[in-house]
Amino acid sequence: MKVREAACALCNSEWGDHWEEVDGQRMFFCCWVCARAFDHMVQEVKRRTGWEALDEVKIEGDYRGRECAAIRGAEAYRFRLRFDPETGELLVFEPIASV
Amino acid sequence: MVCGRSSDTYSALAEHILKWAASSDPGHVMWLNRNITKQKVGEEELSGLLEAFATDATTLASWMKQTFIERFYGPRPHPFVRALQRPTRATLLGYVVEHQHFLRQWVRSAASVIAKTDRRDVTSYEIDNIVTEFGGQGSDAPAHYELLLRMGEALGLPREDVLSTSPLPRTKQALNFWAKLAERGHWVEIMAAMHGLELIANRDLVEEGASMRYFDPAILKDEAVPEAVKDFLREGYEADVAHSEEALALVEKYAKEFGLQDRVRAAYLQSLDAFDLHLNARLERGRDYESA
Ligand SMILES: [Zn+2]
Repeated sequence: MKVREAACALCNSEWGDHWEEVDGQRMFFCCWVCARAFDHMVQEVKRRTGWEALDEVKIEGDYRGRECAAIRGAEAYRFRLRFDPETGELLVFEPIASV
Repeated sequence: MVCGRSSDTYSALAEHILKWAASSDPGHVMWLNRNITKQKVGEEELSGLLEAFATDATTLASWMKQTFIERFYGPRPHPFVRALQRPTRATLLGYVVEHQHFLRQWVRSAASVIAKTDRRDVTSYEIDNIVTEFGGQGSDAPAHYELLLRMGEALGLPREDVLSTSPLPRTKQALNFWAKLAERGHWVEIMAAMHGLELIANRDLVEEGASMRYFDPAILKDEAVPEAVKDFLREGYEADVAHSEEALALVEKYAKEFGLQDRVRAAYLQSLDAFDLHLNARLERGRDYESA
């Protein structure tokens, strides 16, 4: 999966120094909450799409809500989400109908 | 400013934050991400940014409003606010069951302000507040708490059921924060943490940049909506504007007098986090009533 190297894979922050494996790949996160959140997001996308792996997740927004597109090959799966800021659990996950 | 710990200088504060951020502490990292910058900067630069954040020229009251708007009424409004625009029975019942606990804590917090303050305007304000929210003034002016329970009843949920339901973990966590603050905080911090939240129903926020109101006011004229629901929503809609503005003015005045601006900001930001959790719990609870 394509992720940033010097900034948090979820929130793009350069602070912190928390490394965790997601789908067998070591990634940089600013804190464990972002790591947990990122993992929940990836697993939820895989569950809903049936995809085995993702090439990339494009993320816009911040803790108040994010709009994302998971990419696999030429396909894109769009969704809106929000995490529990204390635990990284998914609070909202809504697929966005493609136009 | 961040975790409630006070520092004498901005560079001491910067050093403290950098230490915690280096060990990926979520509280400190997220605070930096949200309030200062997501870019890693050195101690000197951070100290300058912290000072700018703490001393920005806007008044405390308008900072509180702007922060509230950005948090709950920005381009991606809070999901509870979105749900309340045209609320379903399930959303309203989730509101009733979780908010009941919030109002109980509200009274405890107001009582704590009264116990701690030596200012008469604050005492009077909080007494009025307790009467409006909890005591009520006879059958002509039932308390907000009573209107909430009536809304539940009108939607088919007996008040005994509401009163005997424990709060969900997210509400519980939020209540713990407010309870702790009420116990240990300065009364100005407690006031900011509580009354800042009343901005949720302030319909004037739209003029200051909010993307929507708490709910679509057309509900108040909708004949399909039970009277008790309208009574509850109308109460908040009409009362809270002047009420919350008055509280913010008191907070601003006394934060300045006691030199508590930093602590007030910190308590307020933490209170917004707690409130966010509680709003999520209302939605979560609402799901219990979705198919019922
Ligand atoms: Zn992050």
